[in-house]
Amino acid sequence: MRILAVAALVALAIAPWALARYQLSILTDLLIFGLFALSLDLILGYTGMVSFGHAAYFGLGAYGSALVLINFAQPIPVALLAGALLAGAVALPIGWFSTRATGIYFAMLTLAFAQLLYTVAYKWRDLTGGSDGIAGVPKTALYWGGPSLASAQAFYFVVATCVVLSLVLCRAFVHSPFGRALQAIRENERRFTSLGRDPRPFKLVVVVVAAVFAGLAGALFAPFRGFASPEVMFWVMSGQGLMMVITGGIGTLIGPIVGAMVFILIQEVASSYTEHWMIFSGAIFVLMVIFLPGGLVGTARRLAIRG
Amino acid sequence: MTAVLHTEKLGRAFGALRAVTDVTLDVQAGELRAVIGPNGAGKTTLFHLISGLLPPTSGRVFFQGVDVTTLASPARCRRGISRTFQITSIFPELTVLENVRIAVQLKSGGNFRILGGRALLQTSERRARRSLESLGLLHRAEELAATLPHGDQRLLEIAMAVAQEPELLLLDEPTQGLSPEDTTETVAVIRRIAREQRLTILLVEHDMDVVFDLADRVSVLHFGQLIADGTPEEIRRNADVQTAYLGVVE
Amino acid sequence: MSNLVEQLLNALALAGLLFLVSAGLSLVFGILRVVNFAHGVFYMLGAYLGFTSVAISGYFWPSLIVVPPVVGLVGALLEASTLRFIYRRPPIYQLLLTFGLALILEESIRVLYGNTAKGIDPPPLLDGSLDLAGIIYPRYRLFVIVLGLAVGCAVWLFLTRTRAGLVTRAVAQNSEMADCLGADVARVRTLVFGAACALAGLGGVAAAPMTTAYLGMGISVIVDAFVVVVIGGLGSIPGSMAGSLIVGAAQTWGAFYLPETAMVIMYAVMGAILIFRPWGLFGEEE
Repeated sequence: MRILAVAALVALAIAPWALARYQLSILTDLLIFGLFALSLDLILGYTGMVSFGHAAYFGLGAYGSALVLINFAQPIPVALLAGALLAGAVALPIGWFSTRATGIYFAMLTLAFAQLLYTVAYKWRDLTGGSDGIAGVPKTALYWGGPSLASAQAFYFVVATCVVLSLVLCRAFVHSPFGRALQAIRENERRFTSLGRDPRPFKLVVVVVAAVFAGLAGALFAPFRGFASPEVMFWVMSGQGLMMVITGGIGTLIGPIVGAMVFILIQEVASSYTEHWMIFSGAIFVLMVIFLPGGLVGTARRLAIRG
Repeated sequence: MTAVLHTEKLGRAFGALRAVTDVTLDVQAGELRAVIGPNGAGKTTLFHLISGLLPPTSGRVFFQGVDVTTLASPARCRRGISRTFQITSIFPELTVLENVRIAVQLKSGGNFRILGGRALLQTSERRARRSLESLGLLHRAEELAATLPHGDQRLLEIAMAVAQEPELLLLDEPTQGLSPEDTTETVAVIRRIAREQRLTILLVEHDMDVVFDLADRVSVLHFGQLIADGTPEEIRRNADVQTAYLGVVE
Repeated sequence: MSNLVEQLLNALALAGLLFLVSAGLSLVFGILRVVNFAHGVFYMLGAYLGFTSVAISGYFWPSLIVVPPVVGLVGALLEASTLRFIYRRPPIYQLLLTFGLALILEESIRVLYGNTAKGIDPPPLLDGSLDLAGIIYPRYRLFVIVLGLAVGCAVWLFLTRTRAGLVTRAVAQNSEMADCLGADVARVRTLVFGAACALAGLGGVAAAPMTTAYLGMGISVIVDAFVVVVIGGLGSIPGSMAGSLIVGAAQTWGAFYLPETAMVIMYAVMGAILIFRPWGLFGEEE
């Protein structure tokens, strides 16, 4: 396992020199969505809560970062912070209400709130640009007066660093006493309660933490792609996040990142053949849920233990 | 001396159904009290009322002299009431060790630690191992709880509750579904830990042999009401109890 | 005064549609313990199939009768081929599966019908307005109100008064026992799922003359249905009725008095329920 991790890090490090520009661009995209999927795994894989609205936090991060970059021309890290914090701040009240409901009600509420945010983004033309979104988001500098991050390589490094750091932080998070408690909630919430704690505060914290990481991913997305639009908050996007996590392997952290990459690559290939690749994505997803619930990484681990 | 547990006219109704009515009982420290009664007598409901899973519709619950009637089950657990469930309720995809360790952690605290939790994890793990050992499950520590045979899962449930070092341990039909061999082993384990850790135990049981083997005192429920309370011998000779059971008591 | 009555009727019409959808959602949950994320898409399917049916036959009434069973059949087939295999899994997987089905169905509808909305004209009988003691009100909306009530009563009667309804409720309460007693549990589940989808489809056909058949209607109605069942409580038909009335009223009056923020009222009500009674008005406390 360690060897794979080191190899992956090395590969990430030398990528700007090894890959062509457009390939590097794709890799950057994959990493951003990998982070998005990673954040969702905290809720889905470790705490056992299904969220149909996680894309809303991604979107909030994108809008937050876009607005900061366009209106205040701040360095990228400031924009990232703005996006991540905005997502976390909105997650607090939404999470508070949502976690008052359990299980299925929670899932329904995540969708309801996300659609609410989507509608706000769609209608509030003055702030968000409405259905057109915000375009022309620049890649600014690393810090005030610092080097520009406009080049593909430079921005790639920002993204890769953020993703690797996030993965490290999330790993520490899930192995901490708090993270262990989350897993117990996932396994048997009733037992958890009768063992001495109310699960709600735990759920609220993980929702906010996951939102912050999703917001970070969104905040990277806006300058990378150069725009922020309501589509990134749409339920379809949340669904794609779920598919990425399931494909890669729920509850494994690295799995969702892998899943995101596989999913997007499949999407790229499929969409070149047909405009309706979503049917195939959906079908593959349904098949995975039935036959391979552990996802790619989960199944690989199981096979590794057996073999 | 204050009883560890004192219920006063405890009752719970579900609409027109009176599951538990007017139950007043006392459990002293170090006592092993069995609660018996025919099916549907309200034994598990009584447990829910004591552990805090269900609020009563009448009456009160006193734990170590304090009125805990309005406290929910997490709070009561933290005060010292730990329980097992009639239908095995564990954390299936976690290891046996982690099942017990998390039980310790949830009770003792530090649950919101994200950084610097190593010491906490180690302490809770040590306590968990001790608990597993006293229940004879240490050799299965690294196995997933879901893969354990039914008998060991029942023991795991007990280990989780015992590891919390409760002042009052509620065991809901610990031998349910067990083979005769497993039953004997479980009874031996309960007797041993009760003695070693000087636990106060409230036990719901259907198996009369187990009851007469373990109990210091027996309370009998029938249609939600307490119809008898005494030593196992007294209960065995009690006419009302015999009528209620009709043939179960020799 | 006439305004108020008109508002009330609008609210009832909206509630009627919401009830048709959320009742099905509630039924599926109450009996299969599954939340069917694809439920809204079956509603949309009903609307689009209604459009096709009217376009082919030229008549509305037959469509109202023919389309729901077709939608129900689609639902039953999907249940039997996918959902059936994962009932024993943790609920997370069932939720995700129905979500996947929703995506497939939604995209399939886009493939078949394209992106433009499809309108249906109401039948001559229901076209135009009625004069109700000085209030001019569209006949079609009155029809929707009546339909909602009728279906609500029919479902209630079915579940409480018929033998099949009894079996259905038995399966809901204790499927293993029902199985032992001879009920074909798998078949009951498929039938219930199909019936719920048919209800949603009926809602869709009924809605189409009012709202047109458009691609966003699936997600829009499922969100509304979710809010309805959060307020009313899952698994309860009276709950769906109450929730539908509340949401219908909130949306109607909200749209009238505070157009831009109509949605907020609905969420505010939902928020209040979550604070004081998180399992819904008629739901079961966990």
